[in-house]
Amino acid sequence: MRKIISGNEAVALAVKLARVGVVGIYPITPQTTIIEELAEMKLRGEVSADVVRVESEHSAMGVTLGAAVSGVRAFTATSSQGLLYMHEMVWWAAGSRAPLVMVVATRAVGAPWNIWNENTDFMSERDSGWIMAFASSPQEALDLTIQAFRVSEDPRVFLPMMVGMDGFVLSHTKTNVYIPSQEDVDEFLPPRRQPYVIDPETQESMGNIFQPFDYMKLRHSIHESIESSQDVIREIGREYEKLNPLSDYKTLNVEYKLEDADYAVVTMGAWSLDAMEAVDRLRQEGVNVGLYRVRYIRPWATDEIMRALGDKKGVIVFDRATSLGRGGPLYLEMKATIDSPVKGVVTGLGGVSIGKKDFYHVISKSIEEFRFKSFREVEWYYPGEVKEVELGTPRSSI
Amino acid sequence: MSLALRDLRSKSLLPGTSACPGCPENMAMRMVGMALGNDVVMVVVAGCSSVIQGIGPKNAYGYPVLNIAFAAGSAAASGMWRALRQRNKDTTVVVWAGDGGTADIGFASLSGAAERNENFIYLCVDNEAYMNSGGQRSGSTPHGAVTSTTPEGKKENKKELLFLMLDHHIPYVATASVGYPHDLIDKLRRAKNIEGFRYIQVLTPDPYGWLFDPSRTAEVAKLAVQTCYWPLIEVSHDKVTVSNESLHCLKKETRRPLRDFTSLQGRYKRLSEQDFQELEKYVDYLWDRISKLMD
Repeated sequence: MRKIISGNEAVALAVKLARVGVVGIYPITPQTTIIEELAEMKLRGEVSADVVRVESEHSAMGVTLGAAVSGVRAFTATSSQGLLYMHEMVWWAAGSRAPLVMVVATRAVGAPWNIWNENTDFMSERDSGWIMAFASSPQEALDLTIQAFRVSEDPRVFLPMMVGMDGFVLSHTKTNVYIPSQEDVDEFLPPRRQPYVIDPETQESMGNIFQPFDYMKLRHSIHESIESSQDVIREIGREYEKLNPLSDYKTLNVEYKLEDADYAVVTMGAWSLDAMEAVDRLRQEGVNVGLYRVRYIRPWATDEIMRALGDKKGVIVFDRATSLGRGGPLYLEMKATIDSPVKGVVTGLGGVSIGKKDFYHVISKSIEEFRFKSFREVEWYYPGEVKEVELGTPRSSI
Repeated sequence: MSLALRDLRSKSLLPGTSACPGCPENMAMRMVGMALGNDVVMVVVAGCSSVIQGIGPKNAYGYPVLNIAFAAGSAAASGMWRALRQRNKDTTVVVWAGDGGTADIGFASLSGAAERNENFIYLCVDNEAYMNSGGQRSGSTPHGAVTSTTPEGKKENKKELLFLMLDHHIPYVATASVGYPHDLIDKLRRAKNIEGFRYIQVLTPDPYGWLFDPSRTAEVAKLAVQTCYWPLIEVSHDKVTVSNESLHCLKKETRRPLRDFTSLQGRYKRLSEQDFQELEKYVDYLWDRISKLMD
């Protein structure tokens, strides 16, 4: 079935199709309409899930984790400050090896207040031990959310999984979305199995004090599981294509006109489509450039990336997120993966709008820089008419 | 009710815990086992009890335990009982938290879960300070007590969780003391058969934070009740019952002198005459409010 729906509606539908048992909910813009839709679905009797209206995001993850370790499929969603407030529990969920799913509709982090899109909230959880995917369309948000339950519950993984999507740009924009049938999803996503359940019958306990050596082994095992989850994700992705024949999940990340390209652009999320249009225009002008869209932050697809980008003359990485003082997180990851010259561009923060013209401008300028072997490693790009930005610190005005 | 404790077998506490000698939390845990039987899962919030279980992957608690970060106990238990219900299990879910995890850092999630009337027993083991991190003051520390962050003696009164929880209109609120096992076991058993949020606060005097000899834990826990510093009461669906052990507290003249309680403890070493009067005023206030509840 096809429907014109927003990213948030697509996620709510995915949760319904996955037959989730417990949902911990707490509102925060721009994620809120996911949980509102789930509450409406509950009222209409379309989902049997327990919808728990908690008093904070910390508790939203607490409820979700409590349900997950007690043997039921569980889900929550958040954004920005909410994710940061939940941060402690995000780590606790991974350390508990609890299969569960969370969607993050990304948004800038305060202070100052800003409700618009930026991926820093999502990216700041990359060390926490979760499987992390990022969607580029409402369709992908739906597909990845359904797949997330399979990946998370796979015995070779057993870790929580987070699906990101750009706040407002995807969460609130309606597009044509193909919705797989309940029968297909049921076949794809069998009833939950997990090796350990907190239950008087199984007598499992978790989370008490571990000695240094044993603690380190546990962290190591999470690392190994994330690395080896690449094959699981590809396998599940191929299987998912039966549900949505138009989809392509054979690989973790996505290549566009890359094979014969001398230069490559790296992006993540919704603006990848704008960047693809810029690539098309540059191709028409005879510039040999392609695009690489990162869909998975964790696992980090080192082999896929080296194969795709290892021989390029220059790679331009666009980050809608910051690791302040070091540029963007994607840039840092890419720099640690390939030997090719890598330039990082930080832009689009706090909802600054970046279009295909901006991509065209930055990409063509950067390729010139690569040719003359002189480029700034990290550039902060402001779009449009803004040529020169004056930055003040509190101190400089005293 | 008469009850031979010796005959009550439970697996709540296995041999080999890493509790300190004279630990009141182990006493309370044994009583939980006697009262609730074996069909129990437990959420343990950060505190002494995270350590008492011993070194993972082994565990000296016989119940299945989800150990969890400070502020998440009530939330995790909310998710747990709902998951267990979906799996058609009649298991009792118990949150076990200290006074720090209850009165301070965990209060938001406790209050939220109580307001939603989630179906579990919340057990606060109140040793009146952050004992696991070395005895720093908590919201539940009484006036005048010396702690490692109030070396001058605390200047504020104890936060009254009993009344705060009553104001949440939950089906069951009770206080107990490890000095009176029968009373605590009775209350736990009654709580077990009530549906909804049940809050029980147990006074657990800590020899190392309160500074008394570890052989006297039960004695101090009794004195707290006899001197009326600690009430044994129960409020079930608005019916207020003061336990027999505390009935004498309703009249000021029948109370045992408060000095009998404070003089045994090193934490009151800086207690001035003024501080002592403040503590006595607190006890008066406590029983005034309880008397009003009974009207």
